[in-house]
Amino acid sequence: MADCREQITKKRRAIPYGQGLVLYLLVLSGSLVAADNSRVEKTFETSPNPRVTVANARGQILVRGWDKAQVHAVYSVVSSHVEVDTEVIPSNGPADKIHFATHLLDPLLSGRDQTADYSLDVPMGTNLEIRNTQGSVRIEKLQADDTTVESVGGAILVSDFTGHLFLRSVGGNIDVIRPSGRVEAYSITGDLHFVSPTTSKLRGSTTSGRILFEGDFSDGGDYSLSEYSGDMEILCPPSASFELFAKTDRGKLQNEMPMTIRRQAASPMSSANSLFGTHLTGKATVNLRSFSGTIRIRQR
Amino acid sequence: MNETGHGRTAACYRFEQELQAYMEGEDAAFVPAHARECAFCRVIVEDLEALRAAALALPLEEPSPLVWSFVRAQLLDDGTFAERANFGAWFRQLGWLHRPLPVATFACLVVLGCLLTVPRNYPKPGNTSPISTLPARSAIRSMAFMRDSATLVQVVRELEATFRAREGSLAPDLKATYENSLISLDASIRECSDSLEREPDNSLAHEYLLAAYSQKAEVLSSALEFDEGR
Amino acid sequence: MSQQKRAAPKAASETQLVARAQQGEEEAFAALFEMHKRRVYSLCLRMTGNTAEAEDLTQEAFLQLFRKISTFRGESAFSTWLHRLAVNVVLMHLRKKGLQQISLDEVDSSQDEPVKRDYGDNDRRLMGSVDRISLSQAIADLPPGYRTVFVLHDIEGYEHNEIAEIMNCSVGNSKSQLHKARMKLRDWLRQNEGLMTSGEPVISDQAPSER
Repeated sequence: MADCREQITKKRRAIPYGQGLVLYLLVLSGSLVAADNSRVEKTFETSPNPRVTVANARGQILVRGWDKAQVHAVYSVVSSHVEVDTEVIPSNGPADKIHFATHLLDPLLSGRDQTADYSLDVPMGTNLEIRNTQGSVRIEKLQADDTTVESVGGAILVSDFTGHLFLRSVGGNIDVIRPSGRVEAYSITGDLHFVSPTTSKLRGSTTSGRILFEGDFSDGGDYSLSEYSGDMEILCPPSASFELFAKTDRGKLQNEMPMTIRRQAASPMSSANSLFGTHLTGKATVNLRSFSGTIRIRQR
Repeated sequence: MNETGHGRTAACYRFEQELQAYMEGEDAAFVPAHARECAFCRVIVEDLEALRAAALALPLEEPSPLVWSFVRAQLLDDGTFAERANFGAWFRQLGWLHRPLPVATFACLVVLGCLLTVPRNYPKPGNTSPISTLPARSAIRSMAFMRDSATLVQVVRELEATFRAREGSLAPDLKATYENSLISLDASIRECSDSLEREPDNSLAHEYLLAAYSQKAEVLSSALEFDEGR
Repeated sequence: MSQQKRAAPKAASETQLVARAQQGEEEAFAALFEMHKRRVYSLCLRMTGNTAEAEDLTQEAFLQLFRKISTFRGESAFSTWLHRLAVNVVLMHLRKKGLQQISLDEVDSSQDEPVKRDYGDNDRRLMGSVDRISLSQAIADLPPGYRTVFVLHDIEGYEHNEIAEIMNCSVGNSKSQLHKARMKLRDWLRQNEGLMTSGEPVISDQAPSER
């Protein structure tokens, strides 16, 4: 704010009085708007592996891991009719649990006015639970036993996460980049995108969204992707070693990877297309299912 | 060469006779001794040992979350659970609900519990109309769609009716998201039902149909949370 | 050492959960369900080979368990009690379906199929090929009686005397059926390795294949 004022003063010397007045009024109104975007910054000392929860309606939530035994939270709201409640347990000493919840004081508040943005730096080992109805959630560089993110329409993006990740949206897209550990991602109409996972277990399901998996399969890993009508694309390197079980009822199966094909036992699903085979030594297990979408397995 | 090929000798016959005992850990020293000399018999032993190891290593499977929903609903109906003092504290203590099941599914359980504690008419298996009264216990016993899908369909129907009555209060963009998801799920329900009519044994269609109904219940419950001001 | 440490608290907490469930505490029921659901469901799934039936039977097993929980006195481990109950639920279901279980006739070796030896003329081992999906499918394709014995013995770890008691047959019968089940599984897995007459794996076309 101080820098802003200084810049405005310099400009005033060069600008005629009338225009200066207009400019002044504009700045004033801008200041009033800025004052409504109240920003709060808090720091909490935490015990090892704290639990942090955030419940929000709209706005962006960004969470990053860091190496301090503290949660550093910065949140801002657009409207003065929006409050953020913070609950710390226990109330004294390092926190085991911290809850952030956005409350709408005016039930008629709608749209952008409901917005609250959060930026949290949390210790490694923090277990997160985030619900952001129509806003996006972004998690970066975190290691945790357990992290849950739920959204209705907001997009979810998680990168460089280690631990058990559970992501669910109704319509938002889900992107998971370089995860390690276990990943579960579910959506109804949103797309799922997995990039370079090094996971022991990966589950992804969407009804009408698309699934894109780019990367290798870990030795001993278990990968299960399911869609109803959307298309699924698997892009893996020539060195990927996996057993494949792919099945679709009405859709198509397209495979570009050289595989040792296994003959299928008689199946009651006479209309199903299925592909059952092994690429290289079959160290990972890959289960792909679709009802009417196309499944493509391609070499990267 | 006989039909099984590869020159079966008298020793190989004895090997086959004693193989079962050997695999049971009984005294059958002839089996490993012969296997060292006979490549064909050695492969048999190695195959069976590999099979046994693989069987031990089979991972555990995860049932659908609806299994617990039905169990809980039935136990509620039985009056098995003691009364709770504080509703909020109970919910917070259910750590297993925080991750695997969203709050939306919990709302679905509450609705299901309410439905089952009040006398209802459930369609008898095989009947399409008119509906007749069945005890709740038999009505929720089976989740297999071809035998008795009435309960889950009924729950979804009730949730959808409530949603339609209240959807006007949702924010437009939120409502649009829910509507799109319901359109998508309804399409999958229709297609899977059509498939099952043509191919009753189509297990893939069966699985997708069940999944679509349970997802629809979760989506509707989630939407109803907002209307209740949560 | 660490596993023993983990096991002891788990047993203690299960005892506490059972005690709380006997008082009607819903959270305790939920926690017991969460603790044992995978094992029970896996058992039901492998014995029936059908997802929908397995979920029904899992439901039924837990309902029976929870309704009888007040009668549990701790004479055996809770998990053992639950497991035996689940097995009985599945077997009852299979009997109602009229599916043949173990034949009560004594073993007649003259009817045995000759052991297939075609696979022994090359270096292919089943070991590298027994993947989880193949094995699960092979088990599902077994005749019900063979499947039951194989699942109970080789997967669930029951002894033959226990299986004999459960299935109301002789120990000899149980052993014989298990051996036949294993041989059938071996044949299934070998036959479904693909079109391998020369011992070389069959490679699919390099060009995109569409099914």
